Amino acid sequence: MIAALDRAGIRPRFRHRELLLLVLASVALCAGWVSLASQQAGQMSIGDPTIPIAYVGILFVIHLGFVLTGRRMDQVLLPVAGMLGALSLLLMARLPQGLAGLSLGSIELGLAPLQLLWLSVAFSVLAVLAIVVRNDNWLREYKYTWAAVGIGLLLLVFVLPPAGADDGPRLSLRIGPITGQPSELLKVILVVFLAGYLAENRTLLARTSTKLGPISLPPVPYLLPMLAMWGVALAIVIVQRDLGAALLFFTVFLTLLYVATRRFAYVVLGMAMFLAGATILYQLFPHVRVRVDIWLDPWADPLGAGYQVIRALYAFGRGGILGTGLGAGLPAVGDTPAIPAIHTDFVFAALAEELGMLGGLAIVALYAVIAERGLRIAARAADDFRALLAVGLTLVIVLQAALIIGGNLKLVPLTGITLPFISYGGSSLLANAIVIGLLLALSDRGVEPPPPPSSARRFRLPSRTPA
Amino acid sequence: MTAGGSIVSGDGAGGAGAAPSIGSALLRVGLALAVLFGGIGAGMGYWQVVEAQSLSTDPGNPLVQAAARNAPRGRILDVNGEVVAFNERGSSGERLRRYPFPAMTPVLGYQSMRFGTSGLERAYDAELTGLKPLGPGRDMMRKFLTDPYDPSDLHLSIDVRLQAAAASALGGDRGSVVAIEPATGRVLALVSNPTFDANRLVDPAGGADYLESLRGERSTPLLNRATQGRFVPGSVFKIVTATAGLGSGAIDPSTTYPTDEEYETGFLVEGFTIRDSPRSFQRDRPLDFFEATEVSSNIWFAHAALDTGADELLAWSERFGFGAALDFDLPTAASQVTGGDGPLSGFTDRVELANAAYGQGETLVTPLQMALVAACVANDGVMMRPHLVDRLESEDGRVQTVGSSEVRTVMGAADAEAITQAMVLAVEGEFGQVFAGGAKVPDATTAGKSGSAQLGETGRPHSWFIGFAPAEQPRIAIAVIVERAGFGSQVAVPMAGDLMEQYLDLDDGS
Repeated sequence: MIAALDRAGIRPRFRHRELLLLVLASVALCAGWVSLASQQAGQMSIGDPTIPIAYVGILFVIHLGFVLTGRRMDQVLLPVAGMLGALSLLLMARLPQGLAGLSLGSIELGLAPLQLLWLSVAFSVLAVLAIVVRNDNWLREYKYTWAAVGIGLLLLVFVLPPAGADDGPRLSLRIGPITGQPSELLKVILVVFLAGYLAENRTLLARTSTKLGPISLPPVPYLLPMLAMWGVALAIVIVQRDLGAALLFFTVFLTLLYVATRRFAYVVLGMAMFLAGATILYQLFPHVRVRVDIWLDPWADPLGAGYQVIRALYAFGRGGILGTGLGAGLPAVGDTPAIPAIHTDFVFAALAEELGMLGGLAIVALYAVIAERGLRIAARAADDFRALLAVGLTLVIVLQAALIIGGNLKLVPLTGITLPFISYGGSSLLANAIVIGLLLALSDRGVEPPPPPSSARRFRLPSRTPA
Repeated sequence: MTAGGSIVSGDGAGGAGAAPSIGSALLRVGLALAVLFGGIGAGMGYWQVVEAQSLSTDPGNPLVQAAARNAPRGRILDVNGEVVAFNERGSSGERLRRYPFPAMTPVLGYQSMRFGTSGLERAYDAELTGLKPLGPGRDMMRKFLTDPYDPSDLHLSIDVRLQAAAASALGGDRGSVVAIEPATGRVLALVSNPTFDANRLVDPAGGADYLESLRGERSTPLLNRATQGRFVPGSVFKIVTATAGLGSGAIDPSTTYPTDEEYETGFLVEGFTIRDSPRSFQRDRPLDFFEATEVSSNIWFAHAALDTGADELLAWSERFGFGAALDFDLPTAASQVTGGDGPLSGFTDRVELANAAYGQGETLVTPLQMALVAACVANDGVMMRPHLVDRLESEDGRVQTVGSSEVRTVMGAADAEAITQAMVLAVEGEFGQVFAGGAKVPDATTAGKSGSAQLGETGRPHSWFIGFAPAEQPRIAIAVIVERAGFGSQVAVPMAGDLMEQYLDLDDGS
């Protein structure tokens, strides 16, 4: 058979570790599915196995694709993302199906089938990106174009009719029957731009020529992008009322700036600027004030503003160390979710109730594995752009997870961002799949080498130290 | 492609300059993320281990609310195993709480889907629903059981027969009876009249209308008079004054006041005249503590309080529990000796202090507080923590006993003995009989003190009695108040005597 493949020009390269981990994830999903179905039926049952079988099938087809195309990519990221998606399916199957709905002709899809649909689309995009992307010029060379696209996405929300209610964050965009959240894609685009910009200018940024009191700053022209990022982050808070996305963008930006320049002062300065901006916003905008006040004392208004957070804490408390077991918690009483937005903002609280602190720590560990793999890919990257891109993409997922988990746990103010790969929602899954797909492509030891650095640098530094 | 490429450094940019290496920055980012994840883990530990129990039994928790709806709530039984609260299925299949003895409402409260919980149903909600399992370590094991609830039955110290007898003795009158076993603090009866029918209140059909009508009642049936009603005590407060005087050493049992002259003209304190009610007898010499208690001399106790001083009177009353809510299974109101806004340690002047000595002025007490005063004297000066629940028994056979615990030693045994003697004289003495002879329990030495709390110039006084029996080995201490019913001797005294007698008979019989 190998010979037959060889004649067809296909040289498979086996990925044993990925296969093993995928088998583990699949076993976990199936065990969870049986446990959930048995709990719901009150007796031993496998429930409706279509959803887990379809999902596991997709994962193994992607694995087969990687093997047949002979890719030498990271073997851990796909199973980890697959495991997170599996947890998502278990949770969505367990929540009231009416929380989301889509009619396709005569077919009515509930929460779990819809999430399976989004997961299928997302993992297909992941696989295509991982296999097809063989060079990065299209990202590297057009960074300002990407930035423009990102800003355009941000502005689109105002041009097109909003999808949700008027009082909440204006996050959604409706195109035909499909609503999406542009800020999810925006974060990926912004990372691409930042990686390109910082890779090109990091030598200059690391230099100091401007003095601002005790703080040494880079030449003024290079400060402008930093100010622009600050402005974009604040603009997101003001116009989109999206505290979480703003916090995420700015944290990713500062971390990338630090990685590129090794100058901790920038991080401190950036945080000071963000805090100053946040304080002003706190004074000016009630929606920011409410968020912070709830965080400080949710029990001040337990049935109003603090309701969500308190309900989430109850869920954590009910779970305890070992959890109630899948299906045995109280994420919903009848068709009313115990925590509003349980399928988007509070998935972690719901899972931590049923899987306990041990399960919750396992989920956190999965994101920690993504962080480790991502940083490893960055460390092995062939040039600065790829390294910074890998760090940025990793941070987008990991910091977003930390922000929303921290929000669930009342460690930081709650923000309406999703838990990557677990929260319900197409645009979130799609954006995170793009991130993992690009990370896989970056990890491939068979891709084209980066282009030689342009000799036509506009700025040359007079001083140079031998590398 | 640089296979297996090494750490990227400035030279990747073709020698464009002295860009620092990315590799070590990555390490620091990794460390920062590790700290971040560690913080998240700590946060989970805090909410899921440290705070788990208190979160899971918070009344706002939907788990607690769901348990109220679904869980087989434990029953409540009296001291003889009589069921005083149980579950029934309502017309639409929902669980309904039933209360067969209306007189038990002040103790039990209610558990309603609509109005939540009150009384013992609230205080022991977590145990009744089984959300708070008996015994350590059970919480973790429970996760493996198919039925997450392990409801406990409450076994009370209340004897429902005494409770019902006290309620029917009060009849249509407003008032309260609290009976305590002095040596243990076990509450034997806790009655507040009028009360309401908890069965009607928890009924989903008419509960809301019923509650509305109760709120409008002028007789305030929703108020638990026994624990939260505050009444002018009148002469029963003299026991507190005596404790302060004897305890502080300001007086001793042989101290004598007043003179014949004062009895004729009244005792003048800063222009305010204290008189003793005219009596058919008058001794030819000044009264000592025993005689003053027997005939309930206001003048004598006013002297005693003035000699004791405001600070000592307050300090000793606080040892009985005055000035703060009592530690009890039900919410309690604080009793007070003074309103506390005057210059004389809270008293306005010496007139108010003199008036407080015999329970007038700004003195306000709860019936539970006065029952504790009687029980404390009966128990050689040691106050026991009052409690309603003897033990909890979980469905799977675990038992948790609620032991007796000492609150503090309020007074020395010798002082308690002297006050007991005086209280026996007040019931059984030659002159005391006139006031409180009606409280005498046949075949048992009875100690007590009656009171008639004046409420302004007009209207009938509150009728009070506190006491205990048998005086040598007290088995029951009691406080009875009947609002605006007349002099102590007319209403509260015989009622207390009957109830103590009934209890001792019941206790001997069972």
